[in-house]
Amino acid sequence: MNIKSINKKLRKEFGDRVNASFENGCIVLRGKLPTWEETVRAGQLAATPYSTTHVVNDIDCAEVQDEKMHLPLLNDTALEGRRVQVLIVGGGITGASLARELMRYKLDVLLVDKEGDLALGASGRNDGEVHPGIDLKKGSLKHKYIRRANHMYEDICRELDVPFIRTGQYACFTDKRLLPFVRLYVQYRKHIDGIEDSCVVTAKELRRTEENINPDIAFAISNPSSGCVSPYNLTIAYGENAVQNGAAVCLNTVVLGMTVKDGRIVSVETNRGTVYPEIVVNAAGVYADKLAQMANDRFFSIHPRRGTNSILDRKAGKKWHGIASVVGLSTGSKSHTKGGGILHTVHDNLLVGPDAVETWERENTATSRESIERVFNKQKITMPSLTERDIITYFTGIRAATYEEDFIIEPGRNTKNIYHIAGIQSPGLTTAPAVAQDVAQEIVKMLGGAEENPDFDPVRKAPPVLREMSDEERSELIRKNPDYGVIVCRCEEVSKGEIIDALRSPICVPTVDGVKKRVRPGMGRCQGGFCSPLVTKIIADYLGIPVSDVRKSNEASVMVYESDRGDGK
Amino acid sequence: MNYDVIVIGGGPGGLAAAISATENGAHCLIIEREERLGGMLKQCIHDGFGLSRFGERLAGPEYVERFMDKVREENIETSLSTFVTRIERRDGSFEVVTVNSDGVAHHTAKAVVLATGCRERTAKQVFIHGTRPAGVYTAGTAQHFTNRLGVMPTKRCVILGSGDIGLIMARRLTLEGAEVIGVYEINPTPSGLTRNIHQCLHDFDIPLHLSHTVTRVFGKDRLEAVEVCRVDESMKPIPETAERIDCDALIVSVGLIPENEIAESIGVTLDTRTKGPVVDAQLMTSVPGVFSCGNALHVNDLVDFVSASGELAGMNAARFAAAERDEKRFEVGNNLMYFVPQCLDLNADNSKVTYYFRSAKIFGKCRLSLYADGKEIWKKAYPFLRPPEMKELVLDMTKFDISGDTALRWEIEVEE
Amino acid sequence: MKEFNCIVCPRGCLLHAEEQDGEIVVTGNTCIRGHDFAVSELTCPKRSLCSLVKTVFPEAPVLPVKLSCDIPKDRIFDAMDCIKTVVVCERIGRGEVIVPDLLGLGADLISTSDILIRQQIKATL
Repeated sequence: MNIKSINKKLRKEFGDRVNASFENGCIVLRGKLPTWEETVRAGQLAATPYSTTHVVNDIDCAEVQDEKMHLPLLNDTALEGRRVQVLIVGGGITGASLARELMRYKLDVLLVDKEGDLALGASGRNDGEVHPGIDLKKGSLKHKYIRRANHMYEDICRELDVPFIRTGQYACFTDKRLLPFVRLYVQYRKHIDGIEDSCVVTAKELRRTEENINPDIAFAISNPSSGCVSPYNLTIAYGENAVQNGAAVCLNTVVLGMTVKDGRIVSVETNRGTVYPEIVVNAAGVYADKLAQMANDRFFSIHPRRGTNSILDRKAGKKWHGIASVVGLSTGSKSHTKGGGILHTVHDNLLVGPDAVETWERENTATSRESIERVFNKQKITMPSLTERDIITYFTGIRAATYEEDFIIEPGRNTKNIYHIAGIQSPGLTTAPAVAQDVAQEIVKMLGGAEENPDFDPVRKAPPVLREMSDEERSELIRKNPDYGVIVCRCEEVSKGEIIDALRSPICVPTVDGVKKRVRPGMGRCQGGFCSPLVTKIIADYLGIPVSDVRKSNEASVMVYESDRGDGK
Repeated sequence: MNYDVIVIGGGPGGLAAAISATENGAHCLIIEREERLGGMLKQCIHDGFGLSRFGERLAGPEYVERFMDKVREENIETSLSTFVTRIERRDGSFEVVTVNSDGVAHHTAKAVVLATGCRERTAKQVFIHGTRPAGVYTAGTAQHFTNRLGVMPTKRCVILGSGDIGLIMARRLTLEGAEVIGVYEINPTPSGLTRNIHQCLHDFDIPLHLSHTVTRVFGKDRLEAVEVCRVDESMKPIPETAERIDCDALIVSVGLIPENEIAESIGVTLDTRTKGPVVDAQLMTSVPGVFSCGNALHVNDLVDFVSASGELAGMNAARFAAAERDEKRFEVGNNLMYFVPQCLDLNADNSKVTYYFRSAKIFGKCRLSLYADGKEIWKKAYPFLRPPEMKELVLDMTKFDISGDTALRWEIEVEE
Repeated sequence: MKEFNCIVCPRGCLLHAEEQDGEIVVTGNTCIRGHDFAVSELTCPKRSLCSLVKTVFPEAPVLPVKLSCDIPKDRIFDAMDCIKTVVVCERIGRGEVIVPDLLGLGADLISTSDILIRQQIKATL
């Protein structure tokens, strides 16, 4: 699409309020619009799906307020003067998996994340589906990686000791008349795009596996290669394995600026001192375009897209075994998501969602009643007995979408020593293992080669999960460590020993949420009502600090205050 | 080990059950998941317990420790810091599997008393939206922090729900130096006991806002503010009335749910109204040999009732011998929130049956009636009935002519 | 005339109290305790007080306490200020006096729990 026809389209919709120009290989939009909806619409009009010529949307939108990035309170000099070969900015699945793959070589790798734990962005706030790729078009980077990565999941989850279930997924149709077209579509996808195992199943077969499916569902596309994983557990596992193999991970560390000279990043300023990296990897999620700008290498725009998921009680988990969504011609055709689905998680809950809402706010993960209602109304088509009453919690994640709706995986265009892994949205969790392998090799090339690390150990052990063990195994472990017999979280049956294991893990995040993500106290139906004081106390005792110094998550998330009687020691 | 009766839960219900089972000759074991007996009363340091049982106004620990003393005197076996992972039904007995720091253990018992108490409804269960900061606590969690760890969950808070624990915490936090901005209740009438409204709120000038709810929380790390809204008659928030209140915590006291996960796992039928097991006058559940008491059976407002039901369950568990039952289930009318026990075993001794009930809404002059095949066979007048105040009733059921096919129904009728 | 709920027992009767010719007339009560409460509310309202004191024992950092009898309502916060300064250093039992005649109010501060002397009742398996 040339710039003339883009401008023609823009004029038709927005008059002369917006115009596009072709600058430095990008389509730059300028002008003024009142709403974010229109601003995104302009970006979408100007973009060609999957194109590597990106839209940089500089339209001044009246609705957008100055959103202050959430910054760590920490301010020290721990990293001052630190020289590293690779600095990865962003501790999501992309950054963590790359850090681990880079450790196959003798490299000095530092990963920083501005939050107090890994996976606090989109990587920890999604549905955890390992996608089959049925909806991805050939020619996109998403499609390039999806099948290879999907097939890697058994091995990678075994190595990293992360639960993964290949549940299979159904895309359900209510209109019987569509059957012949869908059959053709599946054949096409199989032969042209390599989605080799998808097939059409009848209503009868569906009901055999999912007894609670809506009887009005006429047939479905079955994608047996689909599965689910705990997305934050996978990210943390990758990070821990990287650290075990010599990488450094610095949390609460934010990139504040860069010094760029002659097309090279010389130094990177953080709240913990100036770092001197040979290569910077941009894995900054919703802030990837901002980071690119710091590096004088902005050639794309991120337009955040919010999605809300609900987690349902384990009791509801018994009503649905796999993953399903409903496909209707009237719904979802304009939105860049299947409109969510129902997913039986690796922890036997049900997850319902997500929806997709464009937003200018990169970090506003607040939930709303409307999102939950919207998602439930849609998903009840698949499973009529689904009820909001079973909800135990809900959360919002923000996807880092580009206007081309494809990944950006390439070295800098202006600046030489940066590598962007940006625009990572669904199915970015699925593709991460394969992307990390390829990017690791690219980076080794950029560094002019690197020696292989003969000591690289791909195996990471998670803390034992006593709840899932036989009585004999459990007794055996308790004999070695009696703390494994002290149950702290009654809903998820988590022992004190498991909590202390989490505190001793390679990336220690001694917060209530950090422990909760790693070994699950507080994840059950009482949502920490009973165990959060106990977990807080265990953390305080482990660290030798007063209870009032324990945090829920980030540094400012105080759990309790000292009473005026004195501290809680 | 083999026991006659295993009591699961060492709170006031479980302790009463174990003592009464032992007094009735049973070899009994109490299993408690915490490192100390006493259940929730350990953290209920306020007074007002035991008025009907002991004629004294005791603090929670004082009340429950009297039972703990008795347990010690009677040498009742107690397994502390021990968690029941499952119960398996064997021929004529139950195998209770536990885990503690000594490992996994298997115990058998002829009868089991479930005294597992209740849990609190959470902020998410009442659909509070917004961010997920620190500082959103249930009243019980706030109470644990304050009364057991001696730390402050808040300096300035809003309380959602006028349940008794919320009211008690409003006073407690105020005494500790925190500011309680107000208590917000979605219903048009308070949920807690009248005297708690008076002595916990009025005494400290804490406002109670009826027909109001909290709709959102704000703050990324620690809670910074909440949004409160008036609600309409169908309890839907009215957006125009939204008001933002700066505070550092939201404490929710929005109801209790009996804990019956173990009960369900062994096939015990639950009552959708009480969320507790369906029991007969002997407090035996649908599974012969499994008894229920205290807040696991239904949420009580006074611990005296909890102890009484524990004693009854313990006694009947001790006397339990697998006998043929002829269970009749009562129908419960819509003017009643619930009615417990729900069944009558016609083969059992029903000469002195204790019933507990709550009305579904506030009634002025009214009567509670028992109908047999549509005919009123018994009635009792009440000057008023309020859902927060549970009523107790003792009846000789043998004086009624009830046979296997009599349809029995409880209902409240408004008196002119 | 004043109208308020009785707090003596959970029944919570709605009391009406009125001064007539120097005497307080109470209606709405269902027992004598309600009458006495109403009279006291109009003359010198009193309240019970339960609280905690700090201990030096890490396994039980706080000990539940109460005042042995009701004290004037307007002295509750004075009493709290005093209670907050107390630290228990000995393993005392339920019912033992920690501070006799607190602030000269005629009420003793007493322990309401055996938590310091009986950490565990009995652990058997």
